[in-house]
Amino acid sequence: MSVRTVVQYRRQTELTLIVMAAAIVGVAYTLASLGANSVIPARMGPFLGLVLILIAVAHIAVRKLARGADGTLLPLAFLLHGLGFVMITRLDEDLAGFQALWSLIAVGAFCATLLFVQRAIDLARYKWTLFFIGAGMLLLPMLPGLGYAAGGARIWVSVGPINFQPGEFAKLALAIFFAAYLADRRELIAASTWKVGPLRLPEPQHILPLVVAWGFAVLVMVGQRDLGSSLLFFTLFVVMLWVATERNIYLILGIVLFSGAAYVAWRLFDHVQTRVSIWLDPWEDEYGSGFQIVQALYGIGDGGITGTGLGRGSPDKVPLAQNDFIFAAITEEMGLIGATSILMAYLLLIGAGFRIAIRTDRTFEKLLATGLTTIVGIQAFIIIGGVIKLVPLTGITLPFVSYGGSSLLANYILLALLIRLSDAGAIRRGERTDDPTPRERWAAWKLRRAERKLAS
Amino acid sequence: MNRKIRQLAVVLMGLYVALFAALNYWAVDRTDELASEPGNTRAVIKEFDTPRGQIVTADGVVVARSTPIDDPESDVAYQREYPTGDLFAQIVGYYTFGLGSTQLERSKSDVLTGDTFTQQVRALGDLLSTENDQSGEIRLTLREDMQQVAKFLLGQRQGSIVLMDVETGALISMWSWPSFDPNRVADPDYDAAFEYVTELQEDERDPLLANAYMQRYMPGSTFKILTTGAGLDSGTITPETTWPYETEWVPPQTDDPIMNYGGTSCGGDLAEVFRRSCNIPFAKIAVDMGPDQYPEYIDRWGVEEDVPIDLPRPAASTLGNTDDLDERLPILAISGFGQAEVQMVPLHMAMAAGAVANDGEMMSPFVVDAELDHDGRVISRTQPDVWKRPISRQSAEIIQDLMVQVAESGTASCCIALEGGIPVAAKTGTAQLNGPGEPERSHAWITAYAPADDPKYVVAVIIQGTNAEISASTGGRLAGPVAKAMLDEMFRIDPPTPAGAPATEPQP
Repeated sequence: MSVRTVVQYRRQTELTLIVMAAAIVGVAYTLASLGANSVIPARMGPFLGLVLILIAVAHIAVRKLARGADGTLLPLAFLLHGLGFVMITRLDEDLAGFQALWSLIAVGAFCATLLFVQRAIDLARYKWTLFFIGAGMLLLPMLPGLGYAAGGARIWVSVGPINFQPGEFAKLALAIFFAAYLADRRELIAASTWKVGPLRLPEPQHILPLVVAWGFAVLVMVGQRDLGSSLLFFTLFVVMLWVATERNIYLILGIVLFSGAAYVAWRLFDHVQTRVSIWLDPWEDEYGSGFQIVQALYGIGDGGITGTGLGRGSPDKVPLAQNDFIFAAITEEMGLIGATSILMAYLLLIGAGFRIAIRTDRTFEKLLATGLTTIVGIQAFIIIGGVIKLVPLTGITLPFVSYGGSSLLANYILLALLIRLSDAGAIRRGERTDDPTPRERWAAWKLRRAERKLAS
Repeated sequence: MNRKIRQLAVVLMGLYVALFAALNYWAVDRTDELASEPGNTRAVIKEFDTPRGQIVTADGVVVARSTPIDDPESDVAYQREYPTGDLFAQIVGYYTFGLGSTQLERSKSDVLTGDTFTQQVRALGDLLSTENDQSGEIRLTLREDMQQVAKFLLGQRQGSIVLMDVETGALISMWSWPSFDPNRVADPDYDAAFEYVTELQEDERDPLLANAYMQRYMPGSTFKILTTGAGLDSGTITPETTWPYETEWVPPQTDDPIMNYGGTSCGGDLAEVFRRSCNIPFAKIAVDMGPDQYPEYIDRWGVEEDVPIDLPRPAASTLGNTDDLDERLPILAISGFGQAEVQMVPLHMAMAAGAVANDGEMMSPFVVDAELDHDGRVISRTQPDVWKRPISRQSAEIIQDLMVQVAESGTASCCIALEGGIPVAAKTGTAQLNGPGEPERSHAWITAYAPADDPKYVVAVIIQGTNAEISASTGGRLAGPVAKAMLDEMFRIDPPTPAGAPATEPQP
């Protein structure tokens, strides 16, 4: 009997879980078609083929490039992605075709990220480059001629035939930058030597990142009318600052700053007021601004505990259900039970992410894992909470589930980074051998050759 | 930092618990409220997306059905259709996208859509087959051919015709004019449908209502059936009782005399005053019974109670305000022959005559014969049910004789003799609506049953006194021919077994 290592078990678990996720998605796909048309879906073959290819490619990539990583991340992402895909297919066949293509590209980007980022610390090295890329991407939609608004928010950029939301990538770049920046400077920022009345604050130059982040959030909120993204960015920054410095004052300061900005924005801007009044009572303008959320709530109510059954509800009553409101569509047809399983999948993903952060002993990796996990957790919370009227509705995608190329791509890159961080932790704990990467081998070979030249 | 990360994890978990709680709130606590929001069309769309069963008459004519919509742009897959137009509109009602549903379409919706418990259980067997149409069917007791006859006979005159099976209470025909076209109400063009319905609602003749059981009218002399029953059962009168010949009689507490119809001199024994439909003797019966006893015996007929039909919102016949009747004896007297505040539902009049024909047992009327599932299996069949026993068998037999004489030589003799000499019994009524100084207006009534010796069908007809021409005639002359034609047609379809002949044995 062969002796199996922890790492081998992890990959075995991952494979088993992905196959289970694929089975669930396959059954859901068939049921959705049966429910709507009483026939086995015509594209069953291509669909299953695509699922198997994606699974095999991603799983093999993890086996080859990050074999020590946590085994639950990929299956959870696949489950969310697959259920979202089933719902998109059920809503709009044409969009499903695009989403299939994007799925291929996203899994390709996942593998590429694992391949190119073989050492987590490599990311920290390019922190300023990433900062400018991130900031630039965030501001890109505001450029005249390039950016444009859709659905009230100016978050889109159009280059030739390709439309994308640069904000989805900006959040990754800025998370990496912030983790690196804070890893270097956390002690300085945590030290409070500047006295302002009774408060003891860090030196002004160290508090700057918080101010910059706040400025960005306000800029995004005002310039792009994108409350969701601005809330997401700001939460990300404040949370990372708080975790890095372990000082509650940053959390409090962040909440105060954001509340202030939100209040001013509410006083000054119509669209913020509209959002708030829809949140308080969507029925006040049931056929106008409140239409989407009211229809979503009708759908959720209609679904009840067990749902109407896939293909049997009318989630298409909600305008653009495949994007921000896909959670309402899932709840309608899969019920409270299906919606809860989506919530559980996010919770497990968050749990896995924080476990990576806690188990690694390197500050940068800890902060990056925390940041990336926070992005997924908060983003899902903001949009799900918005759809079910728990928080004001903001246009933001549901990670892995919503229709959209930029979102899917960015989230798979995020997933790859988390897997990379997890693998790095496994190496450090000695759970797997630290094999040199091809680049390191090449560098070593060059070094040996130089030594030989020197010796000769 | 690990402590903060753990705290962060707890916070995020708290947020997700909040999501779960909010989700429960909408998906479990608030489902009913959400479903009943006026802006929520999901339930209606779902209903219109699934096939809905037919409503079929006893003679096999489809009066309501769903047809698939070809238009791929349509929100829904089926459209409701009423092939017989206005003929059954008041019984079947309508089932619409924007304007709700009424009558059987509403009350039997469960069966039509396949949502009854029985259908759901039977559907479990089809779980693995491709069959997902579970719609049920409603089989009516009403006959399309007899409904056509009723519609033809009434023509453009306002009124109602009810034809009922004496022994079971099953309705064979129930027609009121004006009616309406349910196809126009179910028009997918909401604006057009809304305009039509508004027009119908504003029409003071109430075309949307089945006047035959939802409205009540002054009955005139047909009410003497009830008064006679009350008098006989209470022992106030017997068949041997006689009344003096007189043209007018002044009841207590007034100076205004009561006259007979047409101011004639009228009197004699019970058979004669009933046959000639004198007013004074029946006024005297009511006064003799008194303000306590008379309403009590009348109420035995189900007056003041909603007619027990298997359709929504039936009306109740009424004797009017019976408080302080001892101080209003003239009103009591006039009530005795069906004037004053007395009002009868046309269907109830048929039920009253039916009770006489049925030896004193008043049956509950019904229009739904059976509910069938998708495979034609019976889910439930209406069982005949005795609603009231208003009079004794002996009193019923006495009144039967009285009504036969009305048909043979009384106020109905002009017009009720049936083809083939089938013996018939009847009572006419001419309800005078006008107060002093108003133009003459009267409803023409008749109720009749046949064969008189072995009653099978009872008919009640009211033609409303909407114009002078109608009002100038009497119930016998105006409504009589309608009742005769209804019975003649019915016996053409279902000939009676000759009196005395043994019932034909079913062939093996």
